[in-house]
Amino acid sequence: MSKTITKPKSAPEARKPVASRKAQAGQTKKDRYYQRFHWTQQIAHALLLSSFTLLGITGLPQKYPLSSWGQFLIGAFGGIETTRTIHHIAAVILMLLSIYHILDVGYKIFVRRVRLTMLPGVKDIKDALQSFSYNLGIAKKRPQMGRYTFEEKMEYWALVWGTAIMGITGFLMWNPIASTGLLPGEIIPAAKAAHGGEALLAVAAIILWHLYGVHIKRFNKSMFTGKLSENEMLHEHPLELADIKAGISERPVDPKTLRKRQIIYWPVAGILALIMLFGVYGFVRVEKTAITTLPLEEDSVPVYVPQTPTPPPTITPTQGSGAFLLASDTPIAYLPNGEEDGLTIAADSLDAGKLMLSKFTHQQPGQFAVSELAAVKD
Amino acid sequence: MLKQLQIPSRRPIRIFLFVFGAILLLSAGIILVYPANASPLPSSKNSPQNEACLTCHNRPDFQRPMPSGETLSLTIDRTHFRDSAHSGISCTDCHTNISSFPHPALTAQNLRDVSLQFYTICQTCHADQYDQTLDSVHQKALAAGNTNAAICTDCHNPHTQPLLTDSDGSLLPETRSQIPQTCAQCHSAIYDQYEQSVHGAALTLENNLDVPTCIDCHGIHNIEDPTTASFRLKSPQLCATCHTDATIMDKYGISTSVLGTYVADFHGTTVTLFETQSPDQATNKPVCVTCHGIHNIKRVDDPVYGLEMKQNLLARCQTCHPDATSNFPDAWMSHFIPSPEHYPIVYYVTLFYKFFIPGILGPMAVFVVSDIVRRLIERRKGAKHA
Repeated sequence: MSKTITKPKSAPEARKPVASRKAQAGQTKKDRYYQRFHWTQQIAHALLLSSFTLLGITGLPQKYPLSSWGQFLIGAFGGIETTRTIHHIAAVILMLLSIYHILDVGYKIFVRRVRLTMLPGVKDIKDALQSFSYNLGIAKKRPQMGRYTFEEKMEYWALVWGTAIMGITGFLMWNPIASTGLLPGEIIPAAKAAHGGEALLAVAAIILWHLYGVHIKRFNKSMFTGKLSENEMLHEHPLELADIKAGISERPVDPKTLRKRQIIYWPVAGILALIMLFGVYGFVRVEKTAITTLPLEEDSVPVYVPQTPTPPPTITPTQGSGAFLLASDTPIAYLPNGEEDGLTIAADSLDAGKLMLSKFTHQQPGQFAVSELAAVKD
Repeated sequence: MLKQLQIPSRRPIRIFLFVFGAILLLSAGIILVYPANASPLPSSKNSPQNEACLTCHNRPDFQRPMPSGETLSLTIDRTHFRDSAHSGISCTDCHTNISSFPHPALTAQNLRDVSLQFYTICQTCHADQYDQTLDSVHQKALAAGNTNAAICTDCHNPHTQPLLTDSDGSLLPETRSQIPQTCAQCHSAIYDQYEQSVHGAALTLENNLDVPTCIDCHGIHNIEDPTTASFRLKSPQLCATCHTDATIMDKYGISTSVLGTYVADFHGTTVTLFETQSPDQATNKPVCVTCHGIHNIKRVDDPVYGLEMKQNLLARCQTCHPDATSNFPDAWMSHFIPSPEHYPIVYYVTLFYKFFIPGILGPMAVFVVSDIVRRLIERRKGAKHA
């Protein structure tokens, strides 16, 4: 099977047999080659491949940030902030690619009116069941399939669904303030859960379905060469080959009609493109989510505020009560309980001397709050 | 095997060496694991020499003026000294410059100088603790010229300091409850905040020893600078020490998943990654204290400041997200694990993917396996893949 994540063909000459060098060298008709993918599709696929891979390897470590592999990858990208930035850049590439794809498909549908070979139908279900029966040894024959097999259609539509989900949930997380202006706040963690679940599904499906289908089962090079041999066509897409041979795979449009449709389509597509590009711009720039400076979390009190009076290191009240002899609010002596009554303060020797009576409920100096100082005697 | 292990009785010198080595190892082990306490000084209890000193120094009003104009109190209360941990050592063990009367002239210019001149003597017996202080923020401030920075004697009055630890080396309960007041001597404004906080109120009003005191977050002698990026990054782990401990939290009905739910969200993920990958690099993502407060932590159901009230939480959100509106705080799941009651959308989205992912991948895998088996069978038969 070949890539499903591509668009239907675009160039009118695409399905005509291509005279390959081998064919020119006089080989059998088995070696005739048929154009499968236009070069624009090959470039689109390359962009998709790179952005998807980048999104996967920068995204999954964010889903499992405590795992050793997750931390290794995040470290390799230069830390979590850089990892997120790379993820965002890759997301923008994928969004731009999606816009291109929508316009391209629109052109094929409304201007060229090509056959909608990627649309799923009842036949695809039948084909899937028959393929499975064949694998189990029940059916004698594999199903005969057209331009896109059921496997390819499944992958294409899974990608469309996945990109839509990832785009919507990605927007919600990227712009939480704008989103919660309209939606409940809970939508943000819900978007995160969906984004992570969908990511896991997408990456696992690519490895299981796509990697097996086009690389392991049989290496299908058509996305890189753009061509499939007649033998491959016969095996994988016999109905398409029959259509090509019958000359009904194309629906040629006469130049006059084509021109008329283009005149209508291009302005519409241009406006659509502008709207969608504006959407991407909004994605990136709609809100300033958070401050870029450190948040203010100081206690807003000064660190060094010594208690008054500062207990001197030589005096030692323990339990009970006593008195401090103060000189200008600095304690200069401690008098144990009862002794303060017999004390005479020489007014000439101590400037503004006063006696502070204290109850001590704690064992060390300084271990009483100011409120615990009971009374001040002049 | 047994035979090989037997000590050959013919060689008594080996037995001696073996026993000697064992004793050496054992004693080294005991020394290594024994709690760090003061190394003993040879001194007799109530040494007569101390009494000689106290003859003068026990006088309640014994004092002298300093060149700075301050007055130095020279009173040592006999009772308090006898009750202190240092009662067994002699005055001159610390006051090494004094051996007779009259004493050598005091070189200190002010009261602070006196302490600064004496405190280094503590390392004679308390080498471990002294060495720890060398890494502390106080010592750094002192080295930078701030003489207000705390030294040994500021927290431990050498003449009155009672024993702080029991024989196992763990803090006595009454010691623990007094710690904040010791720090309050210099950090009274912070103490006032702490006293009003959920932790401080429980300690001072209920003498609840489950709550953290200053040293539980800041350490004891090696108190590090709490304003650095690295301290901020690891601060959630400090809170988690108690807040993930069910034996403490269950008593108060507090969730122990507070750290897990924090780390699972954007903020906590970022902080955790910064902590493990670039611990010295600052990030502006919030840590516990950003929302809950540092020394002024309140109950979440506090009628005035509680974060359970949406407008209080919104105000916290707005410190970093200035444009946030009323729905925004719900983007943070308030430490809840999503359930049908709390954050049902998140719960059901997660549940959906729990079934959706295997629901898609399972059939895919079955088909791929069937395809592999079919191809292997055909290859063995040499048949064409029809």
